[in-house]
Amino acid sequence: MAEHQIEDPKIAFAYLRPSCVLLTKEPTTANVEALSGHLRSVSDGVLQQLQDYILFPLRFVLKIPGSKREGLIQAVMEAMTYVLENTCVQSWDSLRDLFSELCLCLCSPKDPGKPATTSEELKLAVLRCLDALIHSAYGDIVFKLYEPIMLPGLGAAVSLLLALAEHEKARGVQAASLKCLLSLFQQCNCEEEHIEPGQNERYLLGRALATFLPGISRALGHVISGDVRQGHAVTVKAMQVWYKAFGLVMADEQLQKTDSDEAAGDLGRVADLVVKRTPSWQKATSQRLAMVLQKIISCTSGHPHWRVRLELVNLSYFLLSQCSQSVGECVGPLLEALVGAVNDEEPEVKDRCSAALDEVAQKGQDFTDILSENLHSLVSSLPRVMRTSDDQRKLFVLNVFLGYLKILGPKVDAVLTSAVHLERISKALMQVMELDVTDVKIIEERTLKSSTDLRPDVHQIPSQRKYFLYFTDDKIFSALRKICRMLGYYGNLYLLVDRFMELYKESLVYRKQAALVLNEVIVGAAGIGVEMDSSRIDCSGKNQEDLKSSIMSIIEEYISLSNWHLPTVSEALEGKLEYMTPLVPNNLERNCLQLLPASKTPTLHQLNSNIWQICIQLEGIGGFALALGIDFRLLLMMSLYPVLEKAGDESLLVSQAAFSAMCDLCKACDYSSPKELVMKNSDYLLNDVSLNLARPSIHPHAPRVLAVMFTHSDASLLPLVADVVQDVLTALDLSYEQRTPQFCTVLHSLMKALVRWFPASTGCQKTPSKETQNKECVNLRQFLLDYKKQKELAEGIGVEEEDPKDLDVASPASDEDMDGPAEKRELPLHIQIAKDVMERCSHLLSDSNLRIRLKVLDILELCVCVLCEMEDELLPMVHRCWPALLHRLTNDDPLAVPRAFKVLCVLGELCGDFLRKRVSKEVLPRLTSSLKKQEEISARSGPVYTHTLAYKLQLAVLQGLGPLCVKLDLMEADLDRVIDACLPYLSCRQPIKLQEACLSVFRSLMDLDTDLCWFSLNELCCPVTYEPPHPHLLPVTLTGSDKPRNQFTDNVLKLLQEFDAPQEQDAT
Amino acid sequence: MDNVGPPSSGPGRPQRSLTGIVVYCGSYRIQFIDVAIVMSRPPPDPLYILRGSGASVNTLHFSCGEDGPPLLYSGSGKGAIHVWNLTTRRAEHVLESHAGNSVIWLHTFKNSRSRFISQGRDMRVCMWEMSEDRSTVTDSLLTGSVGFCQCSLLETQPGAALLAHPTEHMEEVSVVEMRSWTPVCTLKPDSKLGMLMCMKMWQADSGPVLCAGYEDGSLVLWDVSHRRPLSCLKAHPEPVMCLDIDVCKQKGISGCSEKILQSWTLDNQQNLQMYDSVQMTNPGVSQLRVRADGKILATAGWDNSIRVFGWKKLKPLAVLQHHTDMVNSVAFSDHQDPPQRLLAAGSKDQRISVWSIYSQS
Repeated sequence: MAEHQIEDPKIAFAYLRPSCVLLTKEPTTANVEALSGHLRSVSDGVLQQLQDYILFPLRFVLKIPGSKREGLIQAVMEAMTYVLENTCVQSWDSLRDLFSELCLCLCSPKDPGKPATTSEELKLAVLRCLDALIHSAYGDIVFKLYEPIMLPGLGAAVSLLLALAEHEKARGVQAASLKCLLSLFQQCNCEEEHIEPGQNERYLLGRALATFLPGISRALGHVISGDVRQGHAVTVKAMQVWYKAFGLVMADEQLQKTDSDEAAGDLGRVADLVVKRTPSWQKATSQRLAMVLQKIISCTSGHPHWRVRLELVNLSYFLLSQCSQSVGECVGPLLEALVGAVNDEEPEVKDRCSAALDEVAQKGQDFTDILSENLHSLVSSLPRVMRTSDDQRKLFVLNVFLGYLKILGPKVDAVLTSAVHLERISKALMQVMELDVTDVKIIEERTLKSSTDLRPDVHQIPSQRKYFLYFTDDKIFSALRKICRMLGYYGNLYLLVDRFMELYKESLVYRKQAALVLNEVIVGAAGIGVEMDSSRIDCSGKNQEDLKSSIMSIIEEYISLSNWHLPTVSEALEGKLEYMTPLVPNNLERNCLQLLPASKTPTLHQLNSNIWQICIQLEGIGGFALALGIDFRLLLMMSLYPVLEKAGDESLLVSQAAFSAMCDLCKACDYSSPKELVMKNSDYLLNDVSLNLARPSIHPHAPRVLAVMFTHSDASLLPLVADVVQDVLTALDLSYEQRTPQFCTVLHSLMKALVRWFPASTGCQKTPSKETQNKECVNLRQFLLDYKKQKELAEGIGVEEEDPKDLDVASPASDEDMDGPAEKRELPLHIQIAKDVMERCSHLLSDSNLRIRLKVLDILELCVCVLCEMEDELLPMVHRCWPALLHRLTNDDPLAVPRAFKVLCVLGELCGDFLRKRVSKEVLPRLTSSLKKQEEISARSGPVYTHTLAYKLQLAVLQGLGPLCVKLDLMEADLDRVIDACLPYLSCRQPIKLQEACLSVFRSLMDLDTDLCWFSLNELCCPVTYEPPHPHLLPVTLTGSDKPRNQFTDNVLKLLQEFDAPQEQDAT
Repeated sequence: MDNVGPPSSGPGRPQRSLTGIVVYCGSYRIQFIDVAIVMSRPPPDPLYILRGSGASVNTLHFSCGEDGPPLLYSGSGKGAIHVWNLTTRRAEHVLESHAGNSVIWLHTFKNSRSRFISQGRDMRVCMWEMSEDRSTVTDSLLTGSVGFCQCSLLETQPGAALLAHPTEHMEEVSVVEMRSWTPVCTLKPDSKLGMLMCMKMWQADSGPVLCAGYEDGSLVLWDVSHRRPLSCLKAHPEPVMCLDIDVCKQKGISGCSEKILQSWTLDNQQNLQMYDSVQMTNPGVSQLRVRADGKILATAGWDNSIRVFGWKKLKPLAVLQHHTDMVNSVAFSDHQDPPQRLLAAGSKDQRISVWSIYSQS
């Protein structure tokens, strides 16, 4: 339509004139619309020239007295709006006239103070026109509106607009009137061009608006706190209007000079309207404003729509930056509002807020007092809030706390130097972070895996969840941690550490919380996990040395006896060993023990609390390491041992905490795994171990740590550890009764390590010479000769032959004796250690405690494995152990016998010759007789029998007997005895496993003496009848041949088939 | 029996406790010394133990001067010299020296940390220059002595020092100027005193003097500049094993293979005079050291224990037991700060124990 706008004023005038004239004559809607239609075809420049001319008929219509149709006025308004939007108002008179005419249109004709009861559309049109008018006014005239003389008119307009905003039902009208107000205050933020008021103009504006401020505040306060259903746009606009007006009136720059009286000379009554912004006025106003502000903040800070919350942030920021000095009362609430939004769920609000906070903090305005006061009251109310309100509210309050610290920044230090503040903050944290120790699960979770298990996947241990008395949400805990870190980051480290250490020592009630706080404070002080801008770097350049000395003093406290060695398992659950306090050797130890609460029976809660305390302290050590980085390596000499000690704790939580602390240590000190950590620092560990071994009653865990070290180190540790092993042995000798189980554990792990470090090279040397058995074809004559010789031997000469053999066996020992005094050869360290340990074993084998005997048997086996490469050392030791071992084999608990038998098998393998005679004389008779005795019982037993010890013993003996016979290369008589004892077990009535084990015995015996086996088996059952090849020969009759099928048949047949199988193979 | 209470009369004199209460206040570590009187408090444990010397530890020497970490030098029976960093408690350098022969004496120089001197059973005295990566013998002197007598070093002024060392003649002491190995004098007693056992040289007003202990139990005080004996004292019936002198108090002490420690004084005419003696439970002392502040005396006993005495009245203060074999050497550290002062003992059991005792004055 506007493609060809008329550019020539004359043509345009001619074009528009008829419709203008017509309108003046006949003010009808149609004519107005005709005019406005024509207006569209005229260019803006021409329109500007003809502005007065065009506006005249429109204004004329408005001025016609009497009631008019609403449609007409609305049309007029729209036409005027069009004109005004596209032109400028250059003369003050027309601005003033238009302004007042438009205001008249809004108010009701009978009561000019109230808005007219016209239709929404009309109101909207008028408001839009008014808005357009203000926008189109020239900068040099528009500010005349705010001169004192205009106050009545302006006041009327403002109150009308406010009334519309407040009472109008339609949202559009409300919003439009608020927008109108904004433009009227020269604060409009729409896309149009605006006049930027200079300082003087702002002053003018401020002075004028001061008159209306009470009204504005009251009305807008209503609007803002109005029904949520009015929509966020209205609320946001109302807030904007309010804070812009507020900002203008109370601006710091304006209030610095008091309003002068200069203009008030000839105003007459109007002068009463002018407000003089004196200090007293300022004070009264700011108090009133503070109340309104409180109201506004309270109903918008939790507003469901984020734009409202965003606007609150804007409001706070605007006011803080504009008028923080003139309205002191408001700064507190404003900061609180700003800080509270710092963790808003809407990212836009959050970002805006943190930007605003940063700007506020950066401007360096001195809010310290207000902030610290706010902080104080917040912290005072914190415990109550934490007890009574919901998680949402708690989180909010904590975020505010955090926000304060953030704005205070380096000034936190100053705040903390106030004793009152420090006291409040620390106590509040203590109360808030109280842990819940009632959970039974804490203590129930016990370590299942052994302490020596340092697998690499310990990294995956999740951090432990703590249960707090006053909150459950993890977000709350993380907010608290952030607070502590922030304190540490900005505060004076020594002051904080001192304060919280004081609390830590002050009472058991605070101890865990204080430790939690200390942990975070240190981490924060190192700048870890503290959110901050990179722009504000290191305002608190914490000295690494300070950090280190603080950490050292904290760790010292953590690992002191009374804080570290707390019972974590109740004595009822625990074996008596741990806390059966032995004779305390001296006063010092006795005094120390009195510190331990172990003397009383701790309640479940105490135990839980202890567990948590240790966990927290362990976490702390890990955190400190991360804070200090590689410098922590030096501190390992004091902290690694305690951590490792706890890694083997019975309580699962504690041991897990210790493992994750170790992982932290690895990370901080640059070790690839806990294993490397232990190995590289074994010297530090050994230091503590050897000192603590001497004081087993205070430090009962040294053996445990040593065991862990053995498990994870390699042979290079041996020279270092050799003297500690001597310490262990000495300690074992000294405190023989109380500590044996622990020392056995150490010795066991030591021997296991030795076996691993020095694998026996002689492992497979002793494969029995099998080729003798498999001679392909036996010369019958030779066989008979041999047989005769054997028989003779058996009848008499055999005895003689055994003697020289016996001598042979004894000779190495006597050699050793002869060598000994001549020159004491220096044994390899591991051999020497194994020897020493084995010597202890020979004593401990007869310990009264069955579990110890079992353990010692295991150790013995390992010792033998280590010593096997030095037979000269091994045999004398075996000789010394033999009586005790024999006792275990023959006269001990059914649990011990199989274990002892296993040792015997190992011994048989390594020094068979040495043992042959002893076994055949002292052991075999017992074993075989017990086998025979048990045979009847097991044959008649039901399936339950397989769970008895007797059965297990039978099984173990049968399983081991075969190889043992082979290894010892037993003689005929012994074999007879073995076969005799085993044959009954071939019965199908025996438990199946025993049958199998028995079969294995026979298979082994087949290797030793095929013929004897064959014969014995055939005695029981002979499947084949042997026809003599020549009638002269007597028929072979074996006892088994004519027996009917019996219980033994199956197994015997199976074995006999195995006899045939190799022969068939040989034949082919 | 409860041992805490008012001190009873009798020989069991109260001891000052060895520990105290430590309070951290700001950056200051304040230690309140526990002045409560506690009788027969158990002796403390060693602060730490240095392991890994691989052979018996024969001699120890501290170097804890101003710059750099505090160091402890130790010489082993297999010719290894360990330089222990006392901050990390680990050996910083391990030097093979004296062709695997036992190292019997080590000393450092006040002015330079990088140099030290060692004496071995290979009859040599070696000067060492230590650098970051390698340490070398820069100079050596063949003394010809096959005995156990340790050398004595006297730094007369920065850069210049006198070294007294035993020679191939058993009873003779030779003093040389260190820089050029120029012999200054040889000191040989006129009468038959037997082998030279131990000695110490120091700077007296009149010039350097040297006190030497001999096989027959006598001590001879030598005036080094005039090469003449000043006085002689028959202190022990047995060979003198070790001696030390507190130069300030003009008082010395010596030990032998018996149970007795004999202290003696020097009067104005430089005459040695018997002063006091103290009995020990077990015989035999390898080394004696008086701490630099003249407060306490430590002995290295053949009975595996370290004994601590008050230096003033030779009052027995403590028996430190940790070693499982003979103690060969004791040394006090030369820390600038008295509370940091340490005592180290090296033993035949291959360990070095480090103690912090009576460090609060």
